[in-house]
Amino acid sequence: MPFSSLLRPLFRPPTSNGLTRSLRSFSSTLPCYDKPLPPRRIIPETEIIENFLRGSGPGGQKINKTSSAVQLKHIPTGVVVKSQDTRSRTQNRKIARRLLGEKLDEMELGEMSRTGLKAKIKIKRKASSVKKSRRKYRALAEGKEGGEEEGEDGDRAEDSDLMRVDELKPGDPIVEGDGKKG
Amino acid sequence: MPRLAPQLLRHARKIDPLLPLLLRPCRDLVSAQNELRWLREHAIKTANNSEKRSRIAGWRTVLRQLVEERTTGKPLQYILGTEYFGDLEIVCYPGVLIPRQETAASVTHLVDLLRQAEDLPSELRVLDLCTGTGCIPLLFQHEFNKARHDKGRLRLLGVDISPIAVRLARYNHMRLSNMRDLQRQERQMFKPGRDNDKKKNIAKPRYSTLDGTEDIGAGDTTEFMSADVLMDPLSDRYEMDAPPFVAEMNFENQPPFWDILISNPPYISPSAFNRTTTHSVRVFEPKLALVPPPSPGKSDEEQGDSFYPRLLTIANQVEAKLVLFEVADLEQAIRVARMARDSDKWDGVEIWRDQPELESDSEDEELQEEFEVVGQGNGRSVLCWRGPATQWLGKPASTIFTRRTPKKVWLLGQELEES
Repeated sequence: MPFSSLLRPLFRPPTSNGLTRSLRSFSSTLPCYDKPLPPRRIIPETEIIENFLRGSGPGGQKINKTSSAVQLKHIPTGVVVKSQDTRSRTQNRKIARRLLGEKLDEMELGEMSRTGLKAKIKIKRKASSVKKSRRKYRALAEGKEGGEEEGEDGDRAEDSDLMRVDELKPGDPIVEGDGKKG
Repeated sequence: MPRLAPQLLRHARKIDPLLPLLLRPCRDLVSAQNELRWLREHAIKTANNSEKRSRIAGWRTVLRQLVEERTTGKPLQYILGTEYFGDLEIVCYPGVLIPRQETAASVTHLVDLLRQAEDLPSELRVLDLCTGTGCIPLLFQHEFNKARHDKGRLRLLGVDISPIAVRLARYNHMRLSNMRDLQRQERQMFKPGRDNDKKKNIAKPRYSTLDGTEDIGAGDTTEFMSADVLMDPLSDRYEMDAPPFVAEMNFENQPPFWDILISNPPYISPSAFNRTTTHSVRVFEPKLALVPPPSPGKSDEEQGDSFYPRLLTIANQVEAKLVLFEVADLEQAIRVARMARDSDKWDGVEIWRDQPELESDSEDEELQEEFEVVGQGNGRSVLCWRGPATQWLGKPASTIFTRRTPKKVWLLGQELEES
């Protein structure tokens, strides 16, 4: 059994669940987070016209609406967004404001906006996962051709976690401290 | 109702085979798609929650059943079991009126106004008559505590004639306070200051502390009781199981005086019930909560308004300083506002539309002369205030009825002379 596969359980990715994160982690290296994205844009309420898209006619007890759609219009630019994702109007109002902020951000900054950067990261991740899977299937194919002996090698290349472990030599001192590695 | 175009039905079927069924109650594609999405989420959730062994069907079968139920016109809120009321998710089931968004808008706006009030009593007492799911007191408490951390406690009482509604209101109260407790615990768990240094570097809490305060609403009292608001306290006829309001207040040892009276009573007249309500309301929601009971010698319109005189009397009995009543439309709003004005007990009366927080349109000039009309949309509620509530709302000392005080003094003087 290769040394790296013994180490593997120690290098589990940080869980996104807050409950488990508060437990003591077994790894002595710190997880490195992504670079923070630029902050969300907050639009002053005075620049917005809000509309709840109600039909004319009676309201109150007489009818029973399920729609809680919210439409926002940004007065300076005339951009209109609409949100009707959830049944809660409060929630839809928040979503609509976020959408409007993103839209305006995108119009102004283009690729450097928050959504643009997010899309870039997504594309990058996708490309790397495609690359990873290509590597895996190539290794598998080679393993089949080569038989049992070379199969071990294929396994090693299979997982990118292992690659990272390989970079860290067993003798290296494990640093504690701030986790910002870039 | 116009027929659904076959083209639309065909188009809907192409998107999802269940959509044409939902078009029947929804009438348009966008809302049908929304409802289908919510029903699907609900179906997946219930199918996953039920025990694996006892489960007979997957979520697709559950969804099919839900859609068929909805096709009969049963309100979506009864099928999903909840409705959003402001920030709150309120449980509702058949037999109790579904909370309406317009009511939430009025209550939120009222609390927004009280937010700026300087000299509220240390215990603000809020009475809600015809409470139904209990949504009004619960939202009032939520919004009030969101706004002010330092100020006094709240005492809330919801009253409804229907024991089912009271039970549901108590359940909603319990459910929401449990959820609040959970959130508070979570917040304490992930408080950044309490962790040791090592952890501080790693685990910054993902949870945004919603408002930073720990024990908001801890001193509040929220209660619900069953009583008949409309019944004359002097008559001893017990038609429903509910006792008359005043007797029950004494029996339950409730305080005799309340600061704010809110009510969303039944306000639809019998003819309007037949003409203007939608099918799903007429068939599936309780008529008890929509149409006031008939009484001999009253016209159709009077029957629709029959709660308001009684509510104004109760407001005087409990010495309410601020009153908010929901009404059906602008015509009824004017009738109720006149009732309040003619009773000569109030310092000011105002009519609110569906969205009272917005700037009002200046289209109805003639109406503005009689009553102030605030906001946009249909006429939705009537607000009356007197005494200290004038300052709470930041209103000028007396708006319309300057003649009130001298007249009374004169009357009193006359009586004294005669006796």
